[in-house]
Amino acid sequence: MKKVSVSFTLNGDPVTSEVPITWSLLKTLREYFELNGAKKGCGVGECGACTVIVDGDAVSSCLYPIPEIEGRSVTTIEGIASADGALHPLQKSFLENNGVQCGYCTSGMIMSAKSLLDQNPDPTEDEIRTSISGNFCRCTGYIQIVEAIGMAAKESDRKELLNFP
Amino acid sequence: MSEYLYVGKSIPRTIETDKVTGRAIYIDDLKRPGMLYGKILYSKYAHAKIKNIDKSKAEKLPGVRAILTGYDIPDVRVGFIKDQTVLKRDVVRQFRDEVAAVAAISPEIAEEALDLIKVEYEELPAVFDPVEAMKEGAPLVHEVDARGRPLKSNLLPLPWKFYAGDIETGRKASAYTVKDSVSTTWVNQCCMGPSGCVAEFDMNNNLTLYDQTNVIHLGKQRIMEYFAQIGLKGKKVRVVNTIVGGSFGTKLDTDIYEFICMQLALKTRKPVKILFSREEEFFALPPRQPAIFDIEQGCDKEGRLTFRKCEAILDNGAYTSWGATTPSVMMMPMSSLYRVPNVSFEATCVYTNNIYCQAMRGYGNPQASFAVETSMDTLAEEAGIDPAEFRLINRNQSGDETPQRLKITSCGMEECINSVKEKLDWDKKKKDKKKARGVGMASLIHVAGGARVYMSDGHGIMIKVDQNGWIDVFESGTDQGQGSPTVISQIVAEALGFKPEDVSLTMGDTGLSLWDAGTHASRHTFMAGNAAIRCCEKVKKQILDMAVQYMPKLIKGGFKRKKRKDPDFVEPDLDYSLISNPENLDIKDRMVFPRSDPDHPYFKMDVREIVRSGLHVGVGDSRVVVAEEFYDPPTEMLDREMKGNLSMTYAFGTTGVEVEVDEETGEITILKLIAAHDVGKAINPTLLLGQVYGAVYTGVGYGLTEEIKVVNGRVMNPSFRDYKMLTAKDVIPITPVVIEPGDEDGPFGAKGIGEPGLVPTAPAIANAIYDAIGVRITDLPITPEKILTALNNKQ
Amino acid sequence: MIDYDYRKPQSLKEVFSLFKEYGPKATMIAGGTDVMVKIRNTKKAPEVLISLRGLKDLRYIRKNNGYHIGALTTHRMLEQSDLVKTELSALHDGASEVGSVQIRNVATVGGNICNAAPSADTSGPLLALDATVVLEGPEGRRSVPIADFFTGTYRTVRKADEVLVEFRIPPEMEGFGSAYWKHSRRKAMELPLLGISVALKLSENKEISDARISLTVAAPTPIRAYKAEEFLKGKPLDDDVLREAGKIASSRDCCSLRDSLRCAAWYREKIIQVFVPRMARLAAERIRN
Repeated sequence: MKKVSVSFTLNGDPVTSEVPITWSLLKTLREYFELNGAKKGCGVGECGACTVIVDGDAVSSCLYPIPEIEGRSVTTIEGIASADGALHPLQKSFLENNGVQCGYCTSGMIMSAKSLLDQNPDPTEDEIRTSISGNFCRCTGYIQIVEAIGMAAKESDRKELLNFP
Repeated sequence: MSEYLYVGKSIPRTIETDKVTGRAIYIDDLKRPGMLYGKILYSKYAHAKIKNIDKSKAEKLPGVRAILTGYDIPDVRVGFIKDQTVLKRDVVRQFRDEVAAVAAISPEIAEEALDLIKVEYEELPAVFDPVEAMKEGAPLVHEVDARGRPLKSNLLPLPWKFYAGDIETGRKASAYTVKDSVSTTWVNQCCMGPSGCVAEFDMNNNLTLYDQTNVIHLGKQRIMEYFAQIGLKGKKVRVVNTIVGGSFGTKLDTDIYEFICMQLALKTRKPVKILFSREEEFFALPPRQPAIFDIEQGCDKEGRLTFRKCEAILDNGAYTSWGATTPSVMMMPMSSLYRVPNVSFEATCVYTNNIYCQAMRGYGNPQASFAVETSMDTLAEEAGIDPAEFRLINRNQSGDETPQRLKITSCGMEECINSVKEKLDWDKKKKDKKKARGVGMASLIHVAGGARVYMSDGHGIMIKVDQNGWIDVFESGTDQGQGSPTVISQIVAEALGFKPEDVSLTMGDTGLSLWDAGTHASRHTFMAGNAAIRCCEKVKKQILDMAVQYMPKLIKGGFKRKKRKDPDFVEPDLDYSLISNPENLDIKDRMVFPRSDPDHPYFKMDVREIVRSGLHVGVGDSRVVVAEEFYDPPTEMLDREMKGNLSMTYAFGTTGVEVEVDEETGEITILKLIAAHDVGKAINPTLLLGQVYGAVYTGVGYGLTEEIKVVNGRVMNPSFRDYKMLTAKDVIPITPVVIEPGDEDGPFGAKGIGEPGLVPTAPAIANAIYDAIGVRITDLPITPEKILTALNNKQ
Repeated sequence: MIDYDYRKPQSLKEVFSLFKEYGPKATMIAGGTDVMVKIRNTKKAPEVLISLRGLKDLRYIRKNNGYHIGALTTHRMLEQSDLVKTELSALHDGASEVGSVQIRNVATVGGNICNAAPSADTSGPLLALDATVVLEGPEGRRSVPIADFFTGTYRTVRKADEVLVEFRIPPEMEGFGSAYWKHSRRKAMELPLLGISVALKLSENKEISDARISLTVAAPTPIRAYKAEEFLKGKPLDDDVLREAGKIASSRDCCSLRDSLRCAAWYREKIIQVFVPRMARLAAERIRN
């Protein structure tokens, strides 16, 4: 099994990893970098639990071949709180509005939402629902998640939303 | 009830911050030193003899540490009626039969090894329809029972029968009767977190099972029973849950993969993790129990129900888990949803070579309520009575004792029906009918104050307060995401007089808890809450005993220090008798105070000062503050006639739906959905709404889009792409109505809510569709194709 | 076990030389949302994956004597393009409804078409917009009308070492309004049970002067419903006419509907009959003057 060395930015830090070339970005994050937030809910891009942000876009990391991450910028759930530990507005609003129940979909859900708010800080409900249409949730019925994303958008100014890597 | 500081408030889930920071450890994330990965080889046939298993090639694959077949482990029977073994010998009876298991150093190697195991089968005739399976001459799924006695038919030795009153008397008293046949199919629980566990034995063969179960204590007993039969009698078991990615009924049984995991761990002497793929979640996990109902009801001229008679056939699949016990829960809506004097309910479970079933949110109630509420609507129509009015005429009321001897205490059904009527503008919509638009409703009854399905329905809790005033709660239940840590910390804070942020909880660990029957039947808040309140009384007493001892010392000590600083200070003359009796003291929001003078300038003291002074102070004087309480409510076990008040109280609710039907495509749009629920009291309103929303969404899926397609025993749609669970773009406009009549037995008046949100959703939708276009679909899910076919047939 | 090498050429020249080197052992991969899923589900992989993501200059949406869309344009780019939304509306409809945002962010329209799934969401619209597929191989470029591009389910005329580089849509399509309907059981994360694209041009007296109707999941490949198109030409835009066109489109003259576990043929037939008229009306509304 051939190995590949990739250098990229991970949650604001320059990193290098050497992993088997067949690994996905998800497997690399979880097993090489021990970042457990992104989850393997299905492994075939059909559930959204593995969603992370690459160069500003939400992607299914389970389908992202690791060689392609070279030179790119990756953000995961572990990287959106501020350096001093303050929760990102989305993390706060999900806790406040019960947007998280069992929590398995939460990492992916928040990253999809963050990608939306980074590009569109004042989304409509339909835009919010579209942004998380690729994230399945069985616990919440989505309603309190959509509300939480709206709350984070309303209660924060753009600086707060973007002020985290 | 604004007298409460924390109960009734929507406290955020700060206690679960790990879930939004990626730090929560689910079974996927758990690693144990030297851990191996287990994978299961499943059968290639629905019914076949196993002629030979050749694992020689697989064993040689580098990285493989063990391969087990049914011939390598003791052939011990497990399950509710002990009709299956952990790995199968001689015969496979369904596609998901576990034929071999591999443990290897990586999941990829384990999977590769599976491909190298060669199994020779000889196919046997199979049966895939329960009605066919009941006929004489049908292939037998099981040849012998658990005791080796030959079986003559595919009928399970579980004839469910419930009779109350007399059906013929009821028929004679009827002015109108109706007969309906309805059916429900398999649906998947769709937990986002896949099933899995890690089994680890110590050097003496005591087991730690890292698990996701709802029933840590009962599960432990089942494992110990299994151990006794495989040469591990007397070995200890500890079940420890990780954070759980949803359960919805999947984790009430000890599943075959858990036993397999233990066997692999035993063989390799290493921790072994089995983690299901999403595909396995769909084809190898028991889903919701399907059922076929024939139901007959009657009412008199005034619209009062006279009788309800129902026969159900349940496709049991090849083996038996909790699916076969759903009739015991079905008896509740059959006998007690609305007032009905004469009831007959019989359910037959039949073996087939299909997949077998377990619990799913509602546990038989959604299926049975679909039957009852379909019949209620057809009967209302037959009697010429408005469906809402019909339900009001027959509504359950406080003080009722139902034919199942359920004692109805708090009951908000009338309010639920009326609020649905009001919010749907029911009367107007019925009068001014718009084309292809309609309204419908359905109600529910569910246990909401525990459920005595086992001899003990108790919950044991231990609460300790340390010298910093921090509270540790050792809870015996489990959490699957509903928010118990937040809710219980609110209850403890309120009952003890502290703040919710003072509370830390442990749950889901048999080694750190007393005992609980399990987090099922929507019982957790009721049971743990009541146990907590009673326990807090004991803890409070200990603190107040300490307060009586230490408050005067602390106050006088403070005066002494003041005097030293300021010689002119005059010590006030205080009436210390106010704080000399613990019965006269109370704690609220971390402050101890005398009841008779709550704002006393000197006698109101931070409780943390008291515990800091009162614990660990010297020889013979050191103490801890701790108490335990085992709350087992004064309910009844069901007797031989399946009657008894098995719960302290019952939940009621009504769902009302307005739909629009596209008569060209058969598609349904839900314009409005009102979910009215009598919850007693909402401990945390936001968390409660989350339970309702999630359950309603699952109910809409049950009604309209979800089905596991099983063809000749094989699951044909084992993926999220082909199993139609709803997405965030499938908007359901839900208006929740929370009705709080209180409940004298619930913790701060609360009743269970976990399952009720789901139960009446599908029948409400079916009834609304009938109102819209005059066709009644009687088998779920109600797909556009069924609507179009029915519309065609109507013309 | 799954094993493959992964190469990242930075130019077409490099792609061709890699293909020369590896021949049938190699498969191209663009966004990866089809290729990676196939590898996961079948547990088989080619020996070498040749990534096209380095061909950065194949990512564009231009209008210049017709429309030019680079093959590596992602569905998300198409979704967010005002040009595509207003002037190639059917393609916008299709691209916006592929899978999920996560999939659309990496999946390319070239990859979607080369995969040639009968249920692809961009093939129907491109067919209705009279697109031409531009292929480039070691021997040079060639253009293939998209109607001739698909030869069967998951099969196209593209040779293994050819790269699909561009889609061209003729300038005449600017005068058309177009719409795509994806029929599915829920509103996201879906493959269509049926896809219907209609592109229409109206004359001054509001008659249909030209029409294109394409169907997906109605045959082994995406198809044009030529007989229905012929019927529409010169007719007024009214309910009876549209209904008849829908009937013709759903008939054996135009398509070969199949029963499948996902959907029965009779329902697919019904959907075509219902949505050809609905999409025709929507397409007509979108005609820009």
